[in-house]
Parts: sequence; structure tokens; C-alpha cells
Amino acid sequence: MDFHERQLERQSFTQRSLLVASLLLIFIVVILFRTFSLQISNFTEFDKASLNNRTYSVPVQPLRGKILDRNGEVISENIATFDLVTTPRDIKDVDEFLEKIEKIIDLDKDEIDLYIKNFNSKAFFNRELVLKKNLSEIEIARFEVRGFEHREAFVGKRFRRVSRYDDIFSHVLGYTGVARENNLDEQNRFRSNSWRDAVFSYANGLIEGKAGLEKTYNQSLTGTFGIKQFEVDARGRLVKELSFTPPINGENILTTLDIDAQKVAANQLGRRKGSIVAVDVETGGIVAIYSYPTFSVNKMANGISQLDYEDLINDPDKPFFDRSVAGRYPPASTIKPLVGIHALNRGQISWTTKIDDPGFFELPEDGRIFRSWGEIAHGLINLNQALIRSSNTYFFNLAYNSGINELADDFEKFGFGRTVCVDCILEDGGLVPRPQWKMNNLNFGWFKGDTVNIGVGQGYISATPIQLAHYTAALANKGTKKPLFLNNSLSGKIPSSEIELENFNQRDWRLLHKAMESVVESDFGTARRIRDQKDFLIAAKTGTGEIISLDSREEYERIREDQGLRDHAIIVAFAPAEKPKYAVSVIIENGESGGSVAGPVALNILKELLKE
Amino acid sequence: MIKKIYLDPYIFIGISSLAMVGVLILFSASEGDTTIVLKQTIYVVLGLLLFLIVSQPDPDIYRRFSPLILFVTLVLVFVAYFFGPEINGAKRWIRLFGFSFQPSELLKISLPLFLASFLFDKKLPINAKQTVISIFFILACFLSVYIQPDLGTGLLIAASGFLVLFLAGLSWVFIGITIAAILIFSPFIWNNLLEPFQRDRIWTLFNPESDPYGSGWNIIQSKIAIGSGGFFGKGYGEGSQTHLNFLPETQTDFIFSVLAEEFGFIGVLLLLILYSFVLLRTFYLAVNARDRFCRLVIGGFIFTFGFNVMINLAMVIGLIPVVGMPLPFFSRGGTSLLSIFLMFGIITSMSTHKKFIPK
Repeated sequence: MDFHERQLERQSFTQRSLLVASLLLIFIVVILFRTFSLQISNFTEFDKASLNNRTYSVPVQPLRGKILDRNGEVISENIATFDLVTTPRDIKDVDEFLEKIEKIIDLDKDEIDLYIKNFNSKAFFNRELVLKKNLSEIEIARFEVRGFEHREAFVGKRFRRVSRYDDIFSHVLGYTGVARENNLDEQNRFRSNSWRDAVFSYANGLIEGKAGLEKTYNQSLTGTFGIKQFEVDARGRLVKELSFTPPINGENILTTLDIDAQKVAANQLGRRKGSIVAVDVETGGIVAIYSYPTFSVNKMANGISQLDYEDLINDPDKPFFDRSVAGRYPPASTIKPLVGIHALNRGQISWTTKIDDPGFFELPEDGRIFRSWGEIAHGLINLNQALIRSSNTYFFNLAYNSGINELADDFEKFGFGRTVCVDCILEDGGLVPRPQWKMNNLNFGWFKGDTVNIGVGQGYISATPIQLAHYTAALANKGTKKPLFLNNSLSGKIPSSEIELENFNQRDWRLLHKAMESVVESDFGTARRIRDQKDFLIAAKTGTGEIISLDSREEYERIREDQGLRDHAIIVAFAPAEKPKYAVSVIIENGESGGSVAGPVALNILKELLKE
Repeated sequence: MIKKIYLDPYIFIGISSLAMVGVLILFSASEGDTTIVLKQTIYVVLGLLLFLIVSQPDPDIYRRFSPLILFVTLVLVFVAYFFGPEINGAKRWIRLFGFSFQPSELLKISLPLFLASFLFDKKLPINAKQTVISIFFILACFLSVYIQPDLGTGLLIAASGFLVLFLAGLSWVFIGITIAAILIFSPFIWNNLLEPFQRDRIWTLFNPESDPYGSGWNIIQSKIAIGSGGFFGKGYGEGSQTHLNFLPETQTDFIFSVLAEEFGFIGVLLLLILYSFVLLRTFYLAVNARDRFCRLVIGGFIFTFGFNVMINLAMVIGLIPVVGMPLPFFSRGGTSLLSIFLMFGIITSMSTHKKFIPK
């Protein structure tokens, strides 16, 4: 190469390397620009992504609020129990570990199988694993003594939802169970899979109210979940705890219920099927509500054997069925005061109007005979006497001379045919029949006889015990209707309403109360049996609910052999009659006599409620 | 008696700073694993020693021995391929006294040396015959590494060869034809020559969210690591992406993300300044080298080095597809480190020795 060529070569090299160098420079600029965009412009986004990567929040379960009676006494609460909790990550050899534990605490095969099944994954993710639930005091003591040997295991406190009254509050209280899916708003605060790692306060894990008050007020009883934030690595292993926001325990619920009254109700009904509802007339608060047969809420919440459960489900008496709010019964003669009000308000009769009661009523249209109970002839009687003696003929007459729609309107004003409780669960509205209903459901036209039957609370009409209690309270309040409720915090918050009765005045109410008092106090009263057992005045009305319609006393004696076909004993009552405080309804299935069977039950509850 | 020590102080300071920062970052990336860090430190010390040694001889020695050097390197590459242990499905290592040695790294040195010595006295522009011979050697070296398989290193070796060829005066006509041919045949290459996983990587680059837990994972996590570093970084040893294993390959390909997460944009800026300093200095040395051979070698070395750095960075910040390519001075790996020191040693030798002009 000559000098010239060498010069050319050098020039070419410089040019070409400058070309490559500028390529590199572009590279550097682009990289710088891109890094700037990642680290400065989009920092917030990536910072969040990084935080999201490394943190894992798990819910921490709050304790449910207690359920209290109106005096603040505990009905349902949380009882601490103790579980044997282990940290599999610290355990080197499972079999060796189990062998060591078994020397102190008995383990059954299921417990061991379940433990071994979950061991590896819990160890990998550094999570806790329960080996044995519900340790006995002896087991705890035995473990604690040797605890220093087992740093990989400890006794953990886990709660159980327990009612102090296992089976007397069952239907109203309800019970908790394992939540099938978490329906709470809380759900959105956590990643869905973090529920799997939730810190549970309850031995049963995520629980929710399944029935009764536990279900109605599940949200406020549950409380607010706390948050435990962990640092996790890319494989989801817990590295360390970062922060802890404690849960807010659920609110206690002060109910309107009264434990003592409920105990008396349960005691009084004994092993007879039926229902008792007692309400505070002044507020509408339910103080006692009992349905029998019943069941154990504690077993339902904390484990019931399959066999026991099947027994309950298959029991023909349906223990889960809440007769108080969903049992449909004929109101029978307890409806008579309302029919009386109806007739007086329409101007159909006055308190002095007398009607002859020969012991039966003959329907003018077709001569069909409607009999009185016992077929007793009361002769010429007015409304007062008809109520005291529970004359059927008198009320057959009243109904006959009114119309079904007019009657139904007034029945509904008193809460029949609709639900009356604000926070009861699975409440049934009963039935106030109308011609249209009969046509739609039975495909038959309405007969005058149907109306006549309804005059004495029989036939198509049906009511629930809670409706009867509500109606009785309205009678006691002289036409002021108050919705019923269980949660004391609702007291005074639910507007009451005056029942519209244009021509029914205060004097009428006084006379009606007097007549109902006489049901107990008069020598002819159907509830006279309880007259001398008290030191306050009771206003009442008895009833005998016929299950099947029969034509004669003899026929009833024949079917009476079958207990299930015997009449229901019913009474509604309020006391003290002068200034009513409580109203009560009692229904005893197949109890036959409202006055002498249901009467004493109602009396004893009122006595309990009114004792100083 | 040593009369004179041949040393370029700028290069020396530049590369020893890079190596020290590299060890520092590796310490964090390896979770403070002292074995790894100690090994790397030993390599750095050995490397510096090697650097000083190869700086001393006159560059003519390298020119004269370059065919032999290439031959020996290729033999070692094949020894590794046929007799070496298989690690992660690749056969590219030779084990000796507990140290693993990766001969393919040396091809980045021996191929440019050989090509420069082949081309330094050829007329401009390089004629067809010389071009074909050069390309033959480049392809041979590339294939010997590609079959291991190690596409990243292979491409870098090919690049080093082509850079020398280009700097030596490859005809523009040839370059034009080649680029046109690549453009025409690229669909064919995409469909027939690339493995499914390679296509996957390229596809993922443009759409990492399509498979966030599969092929997109690495690049997504790397971007989160870098981005969340912000301006000042999370602090040394405090990078959560790094230390909680969200970031993959922290000690090798993705070590830049570790630095970016823990030292932030400031750290990235300083790193780029350091690299640029070394690149600028060597660029100056190349342009002012004593003869054509030295120019070509230094140019080939330094641009290969530059592209190596830039490709790694572009890869971890999600600009180009992920190919296995370590970051010089940072990624764990002894042979790579030693060969870099070797490279800078030869550069020093070529820039410090004055041309002996025969009288």
C-alpha cells in the first residue's frame, strides 16, 4: 500500500467507525429515554405493581357481636376453645412429629389423614395448620407442660358461637354455619384467594348467620374484617408480617326478648306442639316467641351428627318449622272481637242489639245448619254476652249480614293476611280469603256460607300466632297498630298507625275491653278457669280451632281418637286490662280447649312479665 | 528488568471501576452469597492481572499468532461441545480444577484478531474472494457456538467478525445486496429457521401481557423492577423485585434490572456514563492506532463490546426480544469477565506500543 492508499484507508476506517459509533449513540439515547420513561414518567404505575407483587393481605376474622335480651343478659355469645395449631415449615419430619404429639394428645385417624394431606403445601407456603380442634383442659395442661419441646406447635385460641339457651330461643335466634360463599361487601377488599389464608377467630372458620336473628342481622353482627399484610416472594411464600389492622368486632344486638318470659313460655308449653308469642303493647317489641318442637342451636352451629340431623329433618312434627311466624292456624273465636268491631263500625248493630241464639244458625238461602260449639242455646243475647260466652250463632249472624269483602277489609286493617313483624325471618302472611282468591285457587265461586264461617274464624281464613299477638296488641291499644320487632334499637323508630274506624269511638273500646275482661271474670266466661289465680285483670278471648269441619258433637267424639285431628286450643289476652302492657297469643295444637288449656299458659306468661 | 509498563490509565480506571461496581451489584443480586462474590472477585483480580500481562507485548505478536489463537479456540469450543458437561441443555463448558470455562467467549477475541490479520494488507475495497473467505470464517465460528446452543453469544461473535469486515472496507454494493436479501427472506426465516420458543420471545416482546405468567413473566417483572426503582432507587439490597424472586436471572442477563431497582435512574445514568467513558476512550484509541491491523482489532473489539452492552440493556428494558446475553463486567461468569479483560489488555497493548519503523 502506498501512502495515498494508506491515507484513504484511514479515512474510510474513521468514517465507518463514526457510522457504527453513531449507531451506538442512538442506542444509548433510546435506552436512556426508555429508562427515563420507566423510572420517572411511569414510576407510580410500576411502584404500585411492585408493591402489589410483594404484599399479600389476608382477612382477619372479627368476633360476632353478642345477642342480648332486653335486660342486657346474654343469649348468644362466643366461647373460647383451644386448638392445637402447628407451623409445618418448622417441622422436619411429619411422622416423627406426630409420634411425639400422640404421646401427649390422642389423635384419631381422620385428624392424622387430614393433617398429612395438607402438610406439604402449608409447609411450602409457610402457613399454619390445625392438628386437633377443641382440646380438653387436660390435653392443654399436658401439652403446656411439655410445650418447650414443641416449638413448632402451640395451643391456639379459637372461638365457637354458643347460645346459653340451647333450645328455647332456637327459631328466633337461629344459628351460624360455615359460609358457603362470602357474600359480604368485605369480599372486594381482598384478593379472592386470600380468603383461603384468612386468620380465623372461629374454630369453624368463616361463619355466617344461617337462620333467625343471626341471619337477619348477620351484617352488623359480623363486624369488619381486619387486615394482616405479609411480604411474599414470587412463589407466594410468606416472608414476614408487614402490618396488622385489627378487625372490628361485630355489634352486640340488644333484642326486645326477655329470657325469663321465654323460659316460662318454654316451660308452659312443655312437650306440646304449638306456639307462644308475647309482645310489649307500648312498643311492639316481641318479648317472648316460642315454637315447639324445637332443636339445639349449639349442635347446629358447632357440629351435629348426620344421624341426629336426619332425625330432625325427617321428624313429622317439623322441629325446624317456626310455628310462631309461619304456622297457619284458624283464628277461631279469637277473631270475634274484630267481627264485633266490624259490625258496630258499620252500624249493623249496637251494643244493645240482641240476637236469638238457639244453638245453631240456619242459612236462609239453603237451610244449611251452622252449629255452635257444644250446641248450647244461649237465647236472646247482646254483643257483650256473645263475646263472653263465645256464641257462634251471634257472629254467624253478623258475618251473614255483612259481606266478605267488607269483612276482609277490616281484617286486613288489623294485620291479618300480611306480615306484621319488621325483622322476623320467613314470616308467613296467613290468609284473608276473598271471592277472587277462592276462584283463583279452588276454582269455585264464593258461597254465603263461606262468609258465615269466617265470622267465627273458621273456614278459609288462617292466621299465624304472631299475627294474633299483633292483633291483640292493637285491641289493647284501642286501635293503634304497632309493627312488631325483635331488635331493641328499632324501638320508637317504626311509625305506628291508627286503624281507621269512623264510627267506633272510645266508649266502644271501653265496652269491648270490658267484654274481654269478662271472658275471664264472668261466671259465664270461657276463660273463667284462670280467674282466681292472679292479682291483676286480664282481657282475653279464647278459641277452639277446628281442623276439619264437622256437623255434630258426636262426630267429633269419634274423630277425637286421632290426636292429630283434635281441635287446637287458642287464647289471645292482654294485661293489665285497665292499662295494657303486654299482649300474648297462645296456640296449643290439638289442645282442644282455649280457656282451660291455653288459658293457664297465657296467664303464667303474663304473670312473669308483670311481676315487679 | 522491566523497562516500561504499558498502561492506558483511562482504560485501566474505567474498566476497574466497572468491575468493582459489577461485584457490588452481584453481591446484592446473589442475596449476599459470599461464595459467588468471592469467586467473581477472584476472577476480577485474575482478569486485571491478565489485562496487565497481555498489555505488555508488541501487538505484532497477536497478528502473527492470530491463526493459531483462532485454531486453539475452535478446538476448545469443540472439546466443550463433544466432551464437556451438559448444563441446562447446553454444552459449552470445560471443567478444570473446579472452575468452569466457556471457550466460546474467547471467540469474541480470536475471530476479530484473525480477520484483522487477514484483511489488514488488502486493497480497498475488499474484493469478492476475500469477502467470501472472511464470511466463511465468521459463519464457521457462529455455527460452532450456535449448535451448543447459544444464539446470543453466537450472534455477538458473528457481529464481531462482520464489524471487522465492515471497518476493513467491505464493499457497499455487497452490504446493499445483503440487506435487501435479508428483508426479502425474513418471512422465510421467521417461519422456517426460528425455533418456536424464539418466535415466542419476539412475539412476547411486542405483547408481554398476552402471557404474564409464561413467556411474558421475565420482561414484565424486569420492567416493574426498573420502573419501581424511580429516581433514587430503593436502596442497596432493598430491591423487593430482586430479593423476593420476582425478577428472574438476577445474576446474569437481568442484573441491570437489579441495579436500576436499587439505584434508580441516577444509578442507570452513572452506569451509562461509565460505559460511555470507556467506549469513547477506546474509540479515540482506535482512530489513532498505529496501523491498520490495530485499528481493525480495536474497532472490532470495542464495537462488539458496545453492542453487547446495549443489546443487554435494550433487552431487559423490553425494547428487543430476550436473547441470552450477559452484561459485561456485571453478569456472573468467569470466562466472560476474563475475556473482557483480555480484550482490553490487547487494546492497551495496541495503543501504547509505538510502531517500530525499520530503518
